[in-house]
Amino acid sequence: MTAFFVLLARNRLALLGGIVLACVVFLALITPILPLADPDVTNTSNRFQPVFLDGALLGTDHLGRDLLSRVMWGTRLSLAVGFAAAIAAATIGAAIGIIAGYYGGRTDNIIMRGVDMLMAFPYILLALAIVAALGPGLFNALIAVAAVNVPFFARNIRGITVGIANKEFVDAARLAGMSNSRIILSEILPNVIPVIVIAMSTTIGWMILETAGLSFLGLGSQPPQADLGSMLGEARSALITNPHTSIVPGIMILIIVMSINLLGDGVRDALDPRLKSGALSRPMAATRVDRAETPPAASGVGLLEVKALETQFHVKNRIYRAVGGVDLHVEKGECLGIIGESGSGKSVTALSIMGLVASPPGVITGGAAYYDGEDLIGAPYRRLRDMRGRNVSYIFQDPLATLHPLYRVGDQLIEAIRAHRPIGKAEGRAKAIELLKAVRIPNAEKRINDYPHEMSGGMRQRVGIAMALANDPDIIIADEPTTALDVTVQAQVLTILDELRRSRGLAIVFITHDFGVVAQLCDRVAVMYAGRIVEEGATTDILDAPRHPYTARLMACVPELGGGKRRLEAIPGLPPVVDKLPEGCAFAERCDRVQPDCRSGGIALVRKDGRGVRCVHPVDTREAAE
Amino acid sequence: MTDALKITDLSKTFPVGRSLFGNPTGTVKAVHPLTLTVLQGETLGIVGESGCGKSTLARMLVGLLEPSTGHIEIEGAALDNADPAEFGKRIQYVFQDPISSLNPRKTIRQIMEAPLKLLHNMPAAERSRRISEIFASVNLREEFLDRYPHEFSGGQAQRIGIARALAAKARILILDEPVSALDVSVQAQVLNLLADLRREFDLTYLFISHDLAVVEAVSDRIAVLYFGSVVEVGPAEEVFAAPKHPYTKLLADSAPVVGRPLTAPEAEGTELPDPLNPPSGCAFAARCPNATDKCRSETPRLAPLGKGTTVACFHPILD
Amino acid sequence: MTGYILKRLLSAIPVLFGITVIVFLIMAMIPGDPATAILGNFATPENVEKLNRDLGLGKPLVQQYFIWLSNMLSGDFGTSFALNRPVLDEVLERFNATLVLAGTAFVLCSFLGVIAGVISAANQYGAADKGITFVVLLGISIPSFFLGMMMILFFAVNLRWFPVSGMWPIYGDRTLGVLLSHLAMPATALAVVATGVIARLSRSAMLEVLRQDFIRTARAKGVHERGVIWRHALKAAMVSIIPVLGIQAGFVLSGAVYIEIVFQWPGVGRMLVDAILKRDILMVQGGVVFVAACYVLFNIAVDVAQSLLDPRIKT
Repeated sequence: MTAFFVLLARNRLALLGGIVLACVVFLALITPILPLADPDVTNTSNRFQPVFLDGALLGTDHLGRDLLSRVMWGTRLSLAVGFAAAIAAATIGAAIGIIAGYYGGRTDNIIMRGVDMLMAFPYILLALAIVAALGPGLFNALIAVAAVNVPFFARNIRGITVGIANKEFVDAARLAGMSNSRIILSEILPNVIPVIVIAMSTTIGWMILETAGLSFLGLGSQPPQADLGSMLGEARSALITNPHTSIVPGIMILIIVMSINLLGDGVRDALDPRLKSGALSRPMAATRVDRAETPPAASGVGLLEVKALETQFHVKNRIYRAVGGVDLHVEKGECLGIIGESGSGKSVTALSIMGLVASPPGVITGGAAYYDGEDLIGAPYRRLRDMRGRNVSYIFQDPLATLHPLYRVGDQLIEAIRAHRPIGKAEGRAKAIELLKAVRIPNAEKRINDYPHEMSGGMRQRVGIAMALANDPDIIIADEPTTALDVTVQAQVLTILDELRRSRGLAIVFITHDFGVVAQLCDRVAVMYAGRIVEEGATTDILDAPRHPYTARLMACVPELGGGKRRLEAIPGLPPVVDKLPEGCAFAERCDRVQPDCRSGGIALVRKDGRGVRCVHPVDTREAAE
Repeated sequence: MTDALKITDLSKTFPVGRSLFGNPTGTVKAVHPLTLTVLQGETLGIVGESGCGKSTLARMLVGLLEPSTGHIEIEGAALDNADPAEFGKRIQYVFQDPISSLNPRKTIRQIMEAPLKLLHNMPAAERSRRISEIFASVNLREEFLDRYPHEFSGGQAQRIGIARALAAKARILILDEPVSALDVSVQAQVLNLLADLRREFDLTYLFISHDLAVVEAVSDRIAVLYFGSVVEVGPAEEVFAAPKHPYTKLLADSAPVVGRPLTAPEAEGTELPDPLNPPSGCAFAARCPNATDKCRSETPRLAPLGKGTTVACFHPILD
Repeated sequence: MTGYILKRLLSAIPVLFGITVIVFLIMAMIPGDPATAILGNFATPENVEKLNRDLGLGKPLVQQYFIWLSNMLSGDFGTSFALNRPVLDEVLERFNATLVLAGTAFVLCSFLGVIAGVISAANQYGAADKGITFVVLLGISIPSFFLGMMMILFFAVNLRWFPVSGMWPIYGDRTLGVLLSHLAMPATALAVVATGVIARLSRSAMLEVLRQDFIRTARAKGVHERGVIWRHALKAAMVSIIPVLGIQAGFVLSGAVYIEIVFQWPGVGRMLVDAILKRDILMVQGGVVFVAACYVLFNIAVDVAQSLLDPRIKT
């Protein structure tokens, strides 16, 4: 709760709105005890007095009534009616929405049909009909405004409730013996309230406008009593001759509604967890590069060479060092595996190469990635864009999320080609079919017209591979391309990748967490932990005799098919969080070979005979082979 | 050994589509009539790929989903009424996503207390003692009790989920992909904890996973599910080592294993049948190298084949 | 496609039916003798008797409803006693004027709103974003009737750019140019609020989409940033923007009531307010049902547009 107010206060616009609104509400509250003229006393000899006149600060209206006094009393009325309507609509709407969303099925169907029916009216028609039936009057206007807003709340809250009711913790509550009413009160409601508050804070302003509108039409407050809307309505006939009588109440409405909207946006931002974590910011076209030092020069090994790469995530005041100095290279036609757990920085390393790390919050703070001698990290966006997909292309994890849902796969393939060279319609189509055939999609001539959702996961990933091949790149970076697939499909996709690499001489950087996949596909492998490479070398060497204790223990704790029922060699503890890495070896905390000297100083990756280990006390070769 | 869990002809059919008047336009059989027995104290592994019906099966077994046909018998008592509160005392569920299975707005203590209070009417003092006991047995510190779910890592949250299931005093746990959301190094910790708990409290597990190696490592027996039906049941050490059903063999051959060269064990582009339009006969026939006309017209039933193994196949693989 | 349109048209029947029930029930809430209430100042004994006969007043509510419904289905919306004219004739004539005003405003707010939202999202936290956000906030905070009045004061009275009010001059030619000069201010005033709402929503929909994986795929392919924003992101964002356009059309139609009064536009909204103040109940009833029915049809068009955009919607 305190956190919420701190967050709210930090938002300067919301704070401004809050202060203005607080002043207005305060003035409205103390209006009865202020020394103001009676708002309803007419004095026609004194009509249309201009502003700043003695005795009437804001002048008088067409009946000679004091405008300042009328505005104050009108504000009081407008605020009260607006808030009352908002609270009534939110309460009733939320109750309906929660019941419909939680119970679902027929209950939901009947309720939501009714709601749809009400929403089929342009809202003012319903309000007008209600006022027509009940007769003009402020209270009836309040009922009308609240009633027409109930469906909006109901629909919104129902959607949220459905999402929560399908969460696993609601199932867990059922299994803990909770009744439906208890689940609604203790599991659903606490999670829905923030949404209700957001919906309310963003609609109160609107409600005030609507009630003012009905009064403006003469259907709300009746003379002599006046809210801001009816003041405007009465002043309209004198708009051209005495504009100040219109401007005064109009500006007042504007001030109230604007301050409420500012505050409401602040409330929304403070309550929305996605905004809190900065997850709603838009990633830029290329990752931000902010290198403090000149990057190390290329040493000329390999087609792609990554040198001392550092990528960080800047979230609020925290700095997560996702990649903390990675060196690697891949030769033409070679397959390099990068293996590690989630958070080890393997994907961020791969995405940094072509500037695809989401930014904000990602920043590349050091190092270089040389493609054929040219540094990609420092390259201007135009150059980078030109090389994306043409020289280096990517295959991503979840094939459903990575293809555009609204374009046919053929068009997405043709677009990949067209991004780099102009191509005619017929030629594009022919090339797309050829690509689909290359990844052995049966019936390619027909499947080219499919939308992604019409394909199975395995077929979609083949499209992903075909798209990566579109411009005959030299390097494909595959970021866990088979993790989301079933084993039988995974085997098919891996085979295709392997054959393509051999037939086209492709270099592949393959990111995975699966030793089995690495063993089958990769020539060399780099093991990552806490943003750094801890061990690297030829795949068979590492799998036969891991030298870094982390590699050894990670391999031991993964069960392998064919081992039968057994106890696994678990690694105690958790990987470190990369915003506060310990000094020395990041694995020291969990390592059973740890010595005092593991916990101090930087530990370098020692390379010898094509094998690199970042460890002070590595497992020696004889030991490792056992 | 006695039967902890016995299910007979359990099936689930979901309506799909909606016509103008809100009636379903078709049905999908997520689980075909299925008969299985789990012995007291055993771990039965259930493997299958996505869409094989394993989660639907699990949800029926704890009463979260009403079966379309069939019976569930838990520790000798029939439970067919799909009342989670009634099931909850005998059988509990450990969810795949540990974080979303904990209400973000409740403390761990509140979450742990619910089953004790509601299923067992336990008084406050006893509840607190019992929670301490359970927390000790899942290796969690008691100070965690007053924190909120978002403060925990996946592995810790999964331990809390297991603790909650234990609190209900159920002796059968349905573990629905309990480690697939966890990192490999944490996965082993949780699997070992589950093994210890089983011994300590004499529990029966139904372990559902898509990861063959994990299932093999924790189970006594394994049932292989394909397209809503059990195609093979057998001892864990034999199911993948010597598969009898061609689908089991396909699974075993597809799993990436260190030291085995990469080969696609299957023709290109074969896929699951369309659930809206299921094939007649064996659902695997279209992908099966041994399929005959009989397979395409008749549905094979589970039949014993050797010691402790049953297979639903007309042409099982014999050594 | 035709199948889908047909299905949506069929599903509109229960909604239209529901609308008539709701309107009928609301009108049944009017206290006192219905015939006297409907006739108001025109409640001569002959009129009361005729109305009782025509509408089946005094019979059970269900029967009354069906009499009213079948009258309407045969094109008889009743007679306005205040205007001494069939309700439907008056509504049709007035609805044309409203359509011109609201239609223009809707096209205006859709284009401006979506474009402003996209520009805002593409330059998140940049100068353009901040500027648009502020204008949008001002737009959704100002009462449209107040804005209209201020526009009259400034553009019509002070600058004399546009006529003060009305749809056509009393004398003179009825050309498109004349119409546009009369339309400019009311349409703009009417579009402002909806533009703000649409711009806000488009901005957040775009931000949501821009974080999706398929945007990263497009960038990895080497697609120009322009193409990423306008081709990839906007198309996906339209899936959530289009339903809002449908809802905003209802708000534009609603706002037209105020604008028609401020600008003396001879539309259906002004007619309804006049009818309520004169207690011309049949006019209110008929007008509300007619406009609501048109809005239902418009929403079907929105759904069809949505299904054309999104192949995942089963047709």
